Amino acid sequence: MENSLVFDLTMMMAKILVILVGTLGVVPVMVWFERRGAAWMQRRVGPNRVGPFGLLQPLADAIKFIFKETFIPKEANKFYYLMAPIIALIAPLCALAVIPFGSKVIINGQEVILQVAQMDTGVIFILAFAGLEVYPVILAGWASRNKYSVLGALRGSSQIVSYEISMGIALLSMLVVYGSFNPHDMVAWQQGSLGFLPKWGAFVNPIGALIFWISIFAETNRLPFDLAEGESEIVAGYHLEYGGMKFAAFFMAEYVAMIMASGLLATLFFGGYGLLPGMSELVSMISAHFGFGAVGMQNTKAAFEFISFATKIAFFMFLFVWIRWTLPRFRFDQLMDLGWKILFPISIINLVVVTLGVYYFNS
Amino acid sequence: MSLPIIILCLISAVLALTMLFAKSPITSALCLLGVLLMTAGIYGLIGEHMIATIQLVVYAGAIMVLFIFSIMLLNLSNSENDFKKKPALFIFGITIGFTLFGFFAYSIKNHFQFHLQDKLLGIFTPQLVAQLGGNSKVLSHALYSQFFVSFEVISLALLVAIVGAVVLAKRKVD
Repeated sequence: MENSLVFDLTMMMAKILVILVGTLGVVPVMVWFERRGAAWMQRRVGPNRVGPFGLLQPLADAIKFIFKETFIPKEANKFYYLMAPIIALIAPLCALAVIPFGSKVIINGQEVILQVAQMDTGVIFILAFAGLEVYPVILAGWASRNKYSVLGALRGSSQIVSYEISMGIALLSMLVVYGSFNPHDMVAWQQGSLGFLPKWGAFVNPIGALIFWISIFAETNRLPFDLAEGESEIVAGYHLEYGGMKFAAFFMAEYVAMIMASGLLATLFFGGYGLLPGMSELVSMISAHFGFGAVGMQNTKAAFEFISFATKIAFFMFLFVWIRWTLPRFRFDQLMDLGWKILFPISIINLVVVTLGVYYFNS
Repeated sequence: MSLPIIILCLISAVLALTMLFAKSPITSALCLLGVLLMTAGIYGLIGEHMIATIQLVVYAGAIMVLFIFSIMLLNLSNSENDFKKKPALFIFGITIGFTLFGFFAYSIKNHFQFHLQDKLLGIFTPQLVAQLGGNSKVLSHALYSQFFVSFEVISLALLVAIVGAVVLAKRKVD
């Protein structure tokens, strides 16, 4: 009894550590890639002075952030001003707890499911914490007592609230297909193939996948939907009055939210941690070469599942950067038109069509 | 009750009192948000993940956003001076509040049959729910078969409320 408690606690801590290190550790790499990628796409040089290929630039940035003066505007409401960046970072990290990053590993004869919180409601819980991402935007804008910040906060929060609707309905159409809230069931459903394509949600319900993908750009306030911080109009939007590490917290939160959204997109529409095509042969080849038993094979499989999931997330993160340097920023009324007049009706029609399709195929 | 639940209860009680006595509207709204989050935590700790998640999605994620959004939009931050404390009225109000609370507590204690509480449980035990495929499955099945009509009637009521709100707002604009 005592032993199993210690084992469970250790495993839980290890999983939380994987999530924390995996996401917060990726942030500096992403910042580097964002800048180098921008330079690459615009045929510039980019940061290349600090370390090889400018790889140490994020480290230099971090040192600079930490040693900046802690400045709080005189008129600001200090408590809420300082609370906003904390909430900004916590909400997407909590949502990551439900996204599985592998099926299971077997350690000492005990199964460890590679997901921090095994919840009955799974995906809906992610939606709940994604919904909480509005608060830091509102709070930061309101507490700074700055017209630009308030404008940015109003834009950001109305944008997040509006796109949550089409995102939720696209998610709903996928829930109808899977018939489950549990991400493991979703991944299990997506194994197998449709002709030459893998049986991924994106190929079963392409319109839903597209709407969901567009919506997460608005949810994470990324270009072309970064109206909340449109530099040419409202300087830096809701985090205008934040400097040093407080600004860095918002910055990190944006990347964590991107990782969370990519993980959700991968789980719902792109097979989740399911092995990429060709990897299952690789797993059996490695197992045969080293003579693994069932346990060793499962653990090898889990390692490759983690690699598949990380690859998918990395691809979607690349897409985020790619789109950012390809499309110009929308105007605010265009953004709202797209959300309410185009995506919302299409997602509802898509939901009806998918429901009829599921009814037809199941009966 | 386990220790985490007691801690959450205490925090939510403190937040609820702060909500009542805070002067600035945004503090009150955020304390209410905190109470809702703590309640969701309590639901989660007793294993009712579905209710906890719905609490987060509906109350914390939608309704409180509307509250805080409108507070921010109207910029009520300077109206705290309108609420000047009048000690006599304040003590009078508190006395009445506690008296009413005392009566309620007394009547509930005397007339609610606690000894019958455990005998009148429904058919669902934790084992049965787990066997039927989890909390959310059982809940959705009940919602869409047994309580289908009431569910639809409630959604109709919500629709009426939405249409009513639009009509009211439109009249003001015209």
